[in-house]
Amino acid sequence: MRNDTIHLAGVYTKTVMKSWFQYSVDAVLRSLAVFIREAVGIVVIYFSMLKFDTLNGWNIHELMFLFSLLFLTYGILILFFTGMRDFWKTVRDGSFDRFILRPRGLLFQLIFSNADWFAAIGHGGLGIVLFVISAGKLGIIWNAGTVVYYILAVIGGVLIQGAMFVFVAALNIYLLQTDSLVTLFYWDLRKFAGYPISIFHRAIQFCMIYVVPFAFVNYFPSQFLLRKEDMAGYPAVYMYLTPVIGVCMYLAAYGFWRYSIRFYKSSGN
Amino acid sequence: MKKFAPYLAFAKKSFLGRSAYRFDHFMGIFDTILRIFIFWEIYRALYGGRSEVDGITLTMVTTNFILSMGLDAVFFVDDYYLPSRIQSGSIATELLLPVSIHGRMLANNMGNALFQLIFHFVPTVAVSVLVIGIAAPAEPLALLLFLLSALLGYGVLWTISFVAQMFSFWLINIWSIVTIKNSLIKVLSGSMIPIWFMPDWMQEVIHFTPFSSIYFMPVQIYLGQLSLSDILSSFLIQLFWIAVLFSFGMLLWKKGQKKLVVQGG
Amino acid sequence: MSLIEVNGVSKAFRVSRRSAGIPGMLANLIRPKYEKKQAVNDISFSIEEGEMVGFIGPNGAGKSTTIKMLSGILYPDSGSVRVNGYIPYKQRKSYVGSIGVVFGQKSQLQWDLPVIDSFELLKAIYRVPEDVYQKNLKRFTDMLDMSGFLNQPVRQLSLGQRMRADIVAALLHSPKIVFFDEPTIGVDVVGKETIRNFLCELNEKDGITMLFTTHDMQDIEKTCKRLIIIDQGAKVYDGLLAGIRSAYGTTRQLDVEFSDDCTVAPIEHVEMKELDAPGGRKKRFLFESKEVQIDALMSSLLAAYAIRDLTVSEPEIEGLIRKIYSGEVVR
Repeated sequence: MRNDTIHLAGVYTKTVMKSWFQYSVDAVLRSLAVFIREAVGIVVIYFSMLKFDTLNGWNIHELMFLFSLLFLTYGILILFFTGMRDFWKTVRDGSFDRFILRPRGLLFQLIFSNADWFAAIGHGGLGIVLFVISAGKLGIIWNAGTVVYYILAVIGGVLIQGAMFVFVAALNIYLLQTDSLVTLFYWDLRKFAGYPISIFHRAIQFCMIYVVPFAFVNYFPSQFLLRKEDMAGYPAVYMYLTPVIGVCMYLAAYGFWRYSIRFYKSSGN
Repeated sequence: MKKFAPYLAFAKKSFLGRSAYRFDHFMGIFDTILRIFIFWEIYRALYGGRSEVDGITLTMVTTNFILSMGLDAVFFVDDYYLPSRIQSGSIATELLLPVSIHGRMLANNMGNALFQLIFHFVPTVAVSVLVIGIAAPAEPLALLLFLLSALLGYGVLWTISFVAQMFSFWLINIWSIVTIKNSLIKVLSGSMIPIWFMPDWMQEVIHFTPFSSIYFMPVQIYLGQLSLSDILSSFLIQLFWIAVLFSFGMLLWKKGQKKLVVQGG
Repeated sequence: MSLIEVNGVSKAFRVSRRSAGIPGMLANLIRPKYEKKQAVNDISFSIEEGEMVGFIGPNGAGKSTTIKMLSGILYPDSGSVRVNGYIPYKQRKSYVGSIGVVFGQKSQLQWDLPVIDSFELLKAIYRVPEDVYQKNLKRFTDMLDMSGFLNQPVRQLSLGQRMRADIVAALLHSPKIVFFDEPTIGVDVVGKETIRNFLCELNEKDGITMLFTTHDMQDIEKTCKRLIIIDQGAKVYDGLLAGIRSAYGTTRQLDVEFSDDCTVAPIEHVEMKELDAPGGRKKRFLFESKEVQIDALMSSLLAAYAIRDLTVSEPEIEGLIRKIYSGEVVR
């Protein structure tokens, strides 16, 4: 990155922050709201576990660890990819036309004019809280190897999800209406992703591994560290693939985006 | 009847307007079915072959999810109806129109709700019943009372949103408040975890909130879990919440309007 | 080579067609219909450096689409566009630094922030050197009398103030060419005048090439020498503003006030209208300038009647253009 690019990223961030703080109550509440919205899912699982003890052999702390990877990667993800997730909005309100008129990378502008710090704190914060609660109670040996593995898994997980956003944004150029597609590809499948995929129907597992590979964001990395019995149903090599899949998917999605952008149609007058 | 004509027009407009987003609509249906499906899968795994837990059968659990998520799709509320108008400033001119803005809000939501009932609830429930199966209503009367209870449940949900929207007079942006509100509804109304499975203390707390009267009461009536007198008192509870919340909302509305006048819109 | 060259450019959009009523809604839900709308149809023109050109046409004529193709937002379906030596939609990053674009209907300022914050952001985006930025900022804000609201959030500005701020925002990086899409829309009369004077001065002193669309003919008459009119995606007129009259406005009008009531015998190729009662003192004579010499007509009238007053009028540009739109005047 050139020096002035970093400078611009800084100016963008300052501007975005300042805009948020024009409505300070909402801005501060925003992190809390995101935290609560996401934590609700965990509370529900906690209640269920009080009644049922385990879910296919996973106890509450193991489930929390599984979830923490999902939230942590998402917290990092939305610092960089909110603009891709909400690309359809940018197109609809005409801001994307404006980005085209400025002598900077389109992805760069989308990323830095949309970084959502408060939501990132909400998601990331929940991820950290869950990690802190659970990590010590699982018998994971934290040494250089596992720490490096963990970091690579987080990066891979961010890239996998980032690639999905970039892909959907590129698709938006053809379909114009993709908010539901984001709901489906992202939010809905993400609902499965919090749980051990082994409990789901084969078709769903197939989707989670080969179509929208959420399983590589948290399930397989968690398996590497936890080695639960249900891992026996999958090739052991899957536990090591997260970073590779992340990089490959991201490059493919980026290529698709570059190719698609030439078909962009401005939203009329 | 003439008095209601403009509201009917608003409702019709929002009903017809929905067809513009065709792809969205089919995705929305798929979304609901998927969510029902996920919970079915999770609870199948949790039950692990047991026929019942604490007297609750798996069929009752899935019926709870199908009905409450189906209703969730029908219960259309636009949480940003008022906030968006306050933010853009168009509220000032809309207040001058000879139709009540609350009436418009409700008409708009009802038009959407009707569309959702026909084109979302029906296909969603049909597919869920075919794939997963559902408990039959305890008796024909239960079905009727379920519908009545569901209508009142919508009233409760609507008035909660009504109150939340009023905060936009002071905060302008109320995304956070709306999000927190909706999270609370999700968990406390029983649409994410059946209230039966919550810890006892939690169930006690929920009884003192309006949330269980949105989806859980209708579902209980459908399953025949409530005696006739319990059903009657559940209607009273729903009406009580609608009255309390609506009055509170109107109180905030009056104060907010004053604030609007002072600021000059 | 001209600064802006547009050759045989066409662009079509696919628009969904919605039918009315409940059956229409159902049909739309199951199978939406689309139709092709030819927004721009084989348009060519060129603009030299330093020109100031008005680009007008009725709603939906394809003005905005053309501006979007010129600025690189849209790819033309066919034909070619070359501006300042670049192909806008292919060499985006190197091209856009040399242009500025103002969309009157869509602000590029940060809605919730003071104007100056948006300017600072643009400075970073366009890599404007500090001294150039300060110089431009000072000069433009003085010219447009903006110092009073530079620190006010955009959402609190009047439409006229916001528009001035948006125009400055498009100029901070010293562009060579500026496209304006409705730069005076919704602005009050005084504000419009300020904006027009500002644009003229910039065009004269800095030689910035400008192309703008507008609905306000006053904008055109007070700023542009040249005019391009498009209608239904095709170019209808391209030439000097004054040329409109010679091309379309060939009808001349002579109003005569006679000293006394009188009747005038019919004159060949001249249409006469009574402005008072028939046989009254005031009459209007209409004729085509190529068929009837005005001085010949006047002298023949003066020779035959006692005349108190004579007024010759040329048709107004605005009225003519309205006629061009409505198809009354044929090329």
